[in-house]
Amino acid sequence: MKILVIIPCYNEEKNIQTLVEKIKKLDYDYLVINDASTDNSPKLLDKYRLNHLDLINNIGLAGVTQIGFKYAVDHGYGGAIVIDGDGQHPPAYIKTLLDKVAEGYDYVVGSRFVDKPKPFTMRMIGSRILSFMIKIKTGRTVTDPTSGMRAMGGEVLKDFADNMNFVAEPDALCHVLKRKFKYTEVQVDMEDRVAGESYFVNPLRSVKFMVNVIISILFFQW
Amino acid sequence: MSSYQITLFIGTIITILFIVVSVVKTKMNIRYAIIWMLWGIIMLVLSLYPGIIDKLSVVLGIAVPVNTVFLIFIFLLYAISFYLFGKVSDLSNEIKNLTYQVSVLKKNIEDKND
Repeated sequence: MKILVIIPCYNEEKNIQTLVEKIKKLDYDYLVINDASTDNSPKLLDKYRLNHLDLINNIGLAGVTQIGFKYAVDHGYGGAIVIDGDGQHPPAYIKTLLDKVAEGYDYVVGSRFVDKPKPFTMRMIGSRILSFMIKIKTGRTVTDPTSGMRAMGGEVLKDFADNMNFVAEPDALCHVLKRKFKYTEVQVDMEDRVAGESYFVNPLRSVKFMVNVIISILFFQW
Repeated sequence: MSSYQITLFIGTIITILFIVVSVVKTKMNIRYAIIWMLWGIIMLVLSLYPGIIDKLSVVLGIAVPVNTVFLIFIFLLYAISFYLFGKVSDLSNEIKNLTYQVSVLKKNIEDKND
């Protein structure tokens, strides 16, 4: 089965070097999608001759991943995996996730908290709230709802490519569970962001994210 | 329950159902439905606890509480239309960008064919 590794990239000029090294170790086809970065990322992507798409307008992470899924479907891939371009997802785990897809799971999430306890930071309290919402809605236990590292088989890939109506990862996960796709999670250890700024430094943005995702899960995922 | 409370309550429930059906059936983008959903929830709370409106009226010095409801509604419509103007202006910029890029690509292809 052909698998595409989708790597969203937005203003990651400081992380590109590590990204290149990661990609070189991959045995899989990959596609870096540059979401109209305003720094030197596009030039660096050209310089290192990475297989990439340059988007003309900034469309946000959800749109970028959907473009990746459409590309994967158009090019005949039977599955896809999303890993962040900021160096948080160690490539060693790509195989772990894909093994699960090969076992017949439709949607596999790399979770930080399968075997390990969840700390009580602000962010993880948010994560707990989202897990709880998904539990009420679907009855399933999800240990890391916001994880961006996920692999999917052909059916979910096609579903996502055709009509993706999500705000972010947690409600996408809720959608997958509602559709009775086979779901599992595997333990991964994520690294701290090497360089660049996270989207969630701004507390107002975090609140907006939480409100959007909770409303989407509670009202719009059936 | 006063009759305006009941009207507001029933109206809100219908609104919320309408929004949910629109999103699920016609695949309206969830991002744009969220603000309406939030507003529906606020209306629901206001219809169940009209005391909030009464208190607010006292604080704002408005004699008839229903005018406070109108004030809030008009402000929301104002805010949403401003937000929409912003979005439309973003979109027209993006379309301009896309038009430019596509026409450059078209020109390149035509030049190659000549």
